[in-house]
Amino acid sequence: MNYLSITLPLGVCVTALGSAIGLGLAVASAMKAVSRQPEAAGKIQIMLVVSCAFIEALTIYAVVVVFILQSKM
Amino acid sequence: MQPDTAATATDLSIELPRLQHVLSGLIPHDLVSFLDIWGGNILALGALILISILMTRACSRFTEVPGRLQNAAEAVVEALENILKDILGSSMHEFLPFLGTLFLFIFIMNLTGLIPMLHAPTSQFEITLSVAIVVFCYVQMVAIRKLGLIGYIDHLMSSPRDLMGWLMAPLMLFLHLVAELVRPISLALRLFGNITGEDALIAAFTGLGVMVLAATGSPVGLPLGLPFILLAILFSLIQAMVFTILSAVYIAQVLPPEGESHAKNPIKS
Repeated sequence: MNYLSITLPLGVCVTALGSAIGLGLAVASAMKAVSRQPEAAGKIQIMLVVSCAFIEALTIYAVVVVFILQSKM
Repeated sequence: MQPDTAATATDLSIELPRLQHVLSGLIPHDLVSFLDIWGGNILALGALILISILMTRACSRFTEVPGRLQNAAEAVVEALENILKDILGSSMHEFLPFLGTLFLFIFIMNLTGLIPMLHAPTSQFEITLSVAIVVFCYVQMVAIRKLGLIGYIDHLMSSPRDLMGWLMAPLMLFLHLVAELVRPISLALRLFGNITGEDALIAAFTGLGVMVLAATGSPVGLPLGLPFILLAILFSLIQAMVFTILSAVYIAQVLPPEGESHAKNPIKS
């Protein structure tokens, strides 16, 4: 047991918090855009998926760091 | 599932059992260590062969009224066309074979992980990185073929035409080069992290399901991992799609501007 057992989950927690806020903003805007202009739903959906992937990636990086450091825990 | 899942779940390395370890009493030790190293590559090769056979069979006899296989293949191609049309515009058909193969390859590799005791090849960083490097090389090739070597360097310097542009050119060149080099790593890490995280999630909840009933001495556990397996099917599809769409965006950025359709790139960075 060392500090990693506290800091690794905490790191994922903080990045997940940030990603959650970002995803919430992105999805909320996409929902508003679709309700305003339903015929553009297809294009908005693609952009939403791509930008969600970018936002999600930050949390995924934190998880990757956890996988790398897991053996030292 | 297996009682040893509960044992590993209490350890810190959470992993579902591998086929070669379950069968380790039946097959020679050399084969176990061989499969530990090359199992993912063999599965990836199997996925490629499966796609080749299915798609060749679907394309071999075209009929007016499509059979089941041809119908499925057409549905996949049409769905991909609809998505890529918005990104690549009129030059979509030139890149559809590459991007479509990429999509099917990654999707089937992701799904292999759902077969009990097999691990998805995409949960190995080497394999996702090699796929991402293929995309990187392909984008460079398309860029040099479409813009010419001089034109590509000009593109990397953000096309300087006036004094201010030339002053900024070294900085822009550096930024663009870094961006180009980081892209394959970010693509590979995203796919690898998602699939590995998903596997760890399924393993953790399966282990939990075994642990819940362990006190009663029951031989089987609660299927707590089941909802996450359904989620994994969805994520496999989404991750394969994200990989394909991002590759398409990277290609679209190096295409020469063709009037209006170039301005429709959804992501600029």
